[in-house]
Amino acid sequence: MTKQFPIDILSQVQKPARYTGSEFGSIVKDAEDTKVSIVLAFPDIYEVGMSYLGFKILYHILNQEEGVAAERVYAPWVDMEAKMRENALPLTSQETGKTLRDFDFVGFTLQYELSYTNILNMLDLGQVQVFSKERTNDDPFVIAGGPCVYNPEPLADFVDFFIIGEGEEIMVELMNAYKQWQSEGMPGGRSEFLNRAVLIDGIYVPAFYNVEYLPDGKVAKVTTNNSLAPATVKKRVVKDMNTISFPTAPIVPFGEIVHDRIMLEVFRGCTRGCRFCHAGMVYRPVRERKPELLKQLARELVDNTGYNEISLVSLSTADYSCLAPLIHDLITELKEEKVSISLPSLRVDSFSVALAKEVQAVRKSGLTFAPEAGSQRMRNVINKGVTEEDLMNAVGAAFESGWSTVKLYFMIGLPGETDEDILAIAQLAKDVQYKYFQVTGHRGAKVTVSVSSFVPKPYTPFQWKGQDTIDEIRRKQMLLKDALKVKNITYQYHDSVTSVIEGVFARGDRRLGKALYLAWQRGAKFDGWSEHFSYSRWLEAISDCGLDKAFYANRDREMDEIFPWEHIQPAVSRAFLWNEYQKSMREELTEDCRHGKCSGCGVCPTLDVKIIDWKEQGHDEAKN
Amino acid sequence: MKLRIKITKDAGIRFISHLEYVRTIERAIRRAKLPVAYSEGFNPHMKFSLASALGVGVTSEAEFVEIELGEEIDLPATIKKLAVNLPTGIRILAADLADTKADKLMAQAGGADYRIVVPCKDCDWQAIVERFNEAESVLFQKPVPKGRGKTKEIEVKNFIDHLEAECSGDDLQLAFSCKITPTGSMKAAELLVVLRDSFEMPLLVEKADILRTDLYAVDEEGKKKSLLKPEYIA
Repeated sequence: MTKQFPIDILSQVQKPARYTGSEFGSIVKDAEDTKVSIVLAFPDIYEVGMSYLGFKILYHILNQEEGVAAERVYAPWVDMEAKMRENALPLTSQETGKTLRDFDFVGFTLQYELSYTNILNMLDLGQVQVFSKERTNDDPFVIAGGPCVYNPEPLADFVDFFIIGEGEEIMVELMNAYKQWQSEGMPGGRSEFLNRAVLIDGIYVPAFYNVEYLPDGKVAKVTTNNSLAPATVKKRVVKDMNTISFPTAPIVPFGEIVHDRIMLEVFRGCTRGCRFCHAGMVYRPVRERKPELLKQLARELVDNTGYNEISLVSLSTADYSCLAPLIHDLITELKEEKVSISLPSLRVDSFSVALAKEVQAVRKSGLTFAPEAGSQRMRNVINKGVTEEDLMNAVGAAFESGWSTVKLYFMIGLPGETDEDILAIAQLAKDVQYKYFQVTGHRGAKVTVSVSSFVPKPYTPFQWKGQDTIDEIRRKQMLLKDALKVKNITYQYHDSVTSVIEGVFARGDRRLGKALYLAWQRGAKFDGWSEHFSYSRWLEAISDCGLDKAFYANRDREMDEIFPWEHIQPAVSRAFLWNEYQKSMREELTEDCRHGKCSGCGVCPTLDVKIIDWKEQGHDEAKN
Repeated sequence: MKLRIKITKDAGIRFISHLEYVRTIERAIRRAKLPVAYSEGFNPHMKFSLASALGVGVTSEAEFVEIELGEEIDLPATIKKLAVNLPTGIRILAADLADTKADKLMAQAGGADYRIVVPCKDCDWQAIVERFNEAESVLFQKPVPKGRGKTKEIEVKNFIDHLEAECSGDDLQLAFSCKITPTGSMKAAELLVVLRDSFEMPLLVEKADILRTDLYAVDEEGKKKSLLKPEYIA
C-alpha cells in the first residue's frame, strides 16, 4: 500500500476511490529501480483522465523502459481540493503517493483549451512553481503534449517545453537524454538540460523564442534567442503503426469511468478533409494497423483486462479499410466470451448502419449521425462530403432495422452561414422524422438535434476566419429553437460563453498567459464544467491584462498575417490551408486523398511519411 | 457446483464502493477464465454474489463470494489463477466447493465481528463501555436508506450486546460482534455514532479505522459456525 490521504479526508469527499490508486494493472516501481520519474498529469477528474487513450499508451511505453517510472495524477475535484488546501496536503501521484514537485517531469496533456486553469492549479497543489522562469533545480520539468500543442503559446510562461506530435518515440528519447545528463551529474542545471532537450526533434522550448508585435497587436515576427533552437519545430509521427507497441494490459479502474471499455486504436489520422476539423488536419496522414495485428491485440486486451466490450477507436472508425471483415472476425472469436464490439462514431451512410446492426445485436439504443450542417451549400463549405440522400439512406436503413431514435449533430456559426442554412437544420430533422413514417408507416420517431457552436482552430482552413460573436450565436440558437418546436424533436444546445473563451485561447498568443494566470488567481478552474465556468471572471481577466477577446476570437485575419503558432508545425502547408479556405467560399469540395488524388497538404513529403491503407494498397490481409 | 471464496478488502482499497468491489471481482473472474455460469436471456450476466455489503471505508478480512460454475474445476489450480488476477488489496484467504443448491451464503450469515481503532482523547472509556455493556436497552435512530433524512428506531442491543475495549495513547480499540438478522443489521460506524451521541464519548468518528474480522453463521445454540467447509484451503 502506498501513502494515502487520511481516512477522515477520504471519507468526506465524493468518490474517494479517485484518489487511492491500486487499480489492477497499475505499475508501481521501487524507488531503487527508478532513475527517471515522470507523472502523467491529466488536467481533469479521474473518470475523464482514465478514459484517455494517449496516456494509456505513454504509461505503457514509458514503464517498459528500464529505470523509468511513469505514474499518474488527475485534477482533484473541488471538494477534495478544499480539503487538501485546508489541511496543507500536496497533490500526489496515484502510484507511490509522491508529491508532483518530487518528480523529474510533470507531463500534462492539452486536450482542451478550457482545461488550462486546471494545469496551473495542479502545479500549485503539487508544490511546483507555476511560472517556468521561477523554477529552480529542485523543481521538475513541466512538459505538455496533446492536440492543443499546435498552438501552445498561451501556456508559454508555464510549460518548460512542449512535445509536438505523437509521443511514443520522442518520450523515450527524452528519458534517455535525461538519464545521460543524470549519469554525468546533471552538469549546468536546468538550462543545460533544456539545451540538450531542444536537440531532440519535436521539442519546443518556448523560452528560446522571442515574439515581437506590431502596433496593432498582430505578430511582427518570431525569432530564436538560442542558436540550438530550430526556427520551426515539426511534429513527430510514428511512420508505421504496426511496429510500435500498444498497451494490451492497461489499468482496469475500480469505478466506472467515462469510456469504461477496451480501447483499440485501429488507425491514426483522417484525410476526409473537413475544413472545420482540427484533428483531421493535425493528425495526418492516415496510418492503419493491420487487421491481423488488431485481432491479436484484441485477444490480449480481453484476456488481460476482463472487460466485456471493445471499442474500435480512431478519428473515423467506419473508414477503416478492412472494417467489415475485422468486425466479423472479432464477433466470431469473442461471442462465446460475451464480449461485444462497439463503434464510437458512425459515418452517414447505410454501410455504417449495417455495421451498427451487426455489433449491437441486442441493445437498440439510438444511433448518432453527424451531418454537421443543415444545408448542402453549408456542407460543401465545410467539405463534409455528405448529401441529404446519404443521410436519408442512413436513417432509412436504421429505421428498417428497428431503430426509432436518432441523434443528429450540427454546428452553427460556420463561415458564411445564413439564416436559411440554420433553418435547413430544422428541415432536415423533420425530413428524418418523415422518413420514419415512410419506412414504418408509423409516426413518433424521436429525433434529437444537438447543436454546438463552431470555434475556428489553428491549422485549419478556417484559421483566418472570425468566430461569430456571442450575440450572433444566441440569435441563431433562438431562430433554430423556434423552428424546432415539433413533437418528438428534442433540441439540445448550450450557452456558448465557453466557446468564446475556447476561441480566444485556441488562436491566442503568449500575452494571454497573464490573463490565464489572473483568471486562475481569481478562482477559475474546471472551466470545461459549466457549473464552474464564470464568463464575467474571464472577460475581466482578459481586459484587466489590456487584451481584447474580439482581437483573438472574432476578427477576420488577413491572408498574409503572421500567426502566433506558425513556428510549431503539424506540416500541413499554409498554402494548402489558404487554398482550402478559398475553395470553401466557392463551396467547392476537396476529395479524400486516401482514395482520390493527393490534395497537396504537404504532410507526407515534409515528414517523409505515407498513407497506410491496407485495402488500397492491396495487402493480403485486407482480402480476408 | 459453486466455488466459494473468502477474500479481503485491504486498507489500500477501502474506499472503493460495494458496487466497484463487485465489478472488480467480476473482471478478475473473467481474466482468470473461470468456467462461470451465466443467466439466460438477451443480456446474460455472470452468476455470482457476495455474502454481505461492506460500508465504504471499512476494511475486511472476511468477504465471501460464491460463484456458480458451469463445469467441474480443480480447486487449488483455480484459486491460484484467480489470485493473480485480483488487484493488490484483495487476497484470497480460503475457498471451498459446494453443491449449486446449497443455501446462499448471504442467507446463512448470522453475524460479523469488528475491530475498530478510533481516536478518543481524554475519555473515560472504561466507564462508558461498562455502561453500554450493562444497559438493558440502547435505542438508535438509524437513517433509512435513500430516506432523505428519515430514520427508523432500532434497538442496538439486539445487534451488539457487548464491547471489548482497550486504549493505547489516544487511540481506543473496540472489538465486538454484530448480529445479522433476516430483517437487517447495524453498521459498525453506527455504533460509534451511538457511543458519541448517546454516551457522550468524545470519539473522532470520521477518523475511525474499521476492520471486519469475520463473518459467520450462527447455529441454534448461538455458536459461531464457519461459512465455508472446515476442510477449506488457505
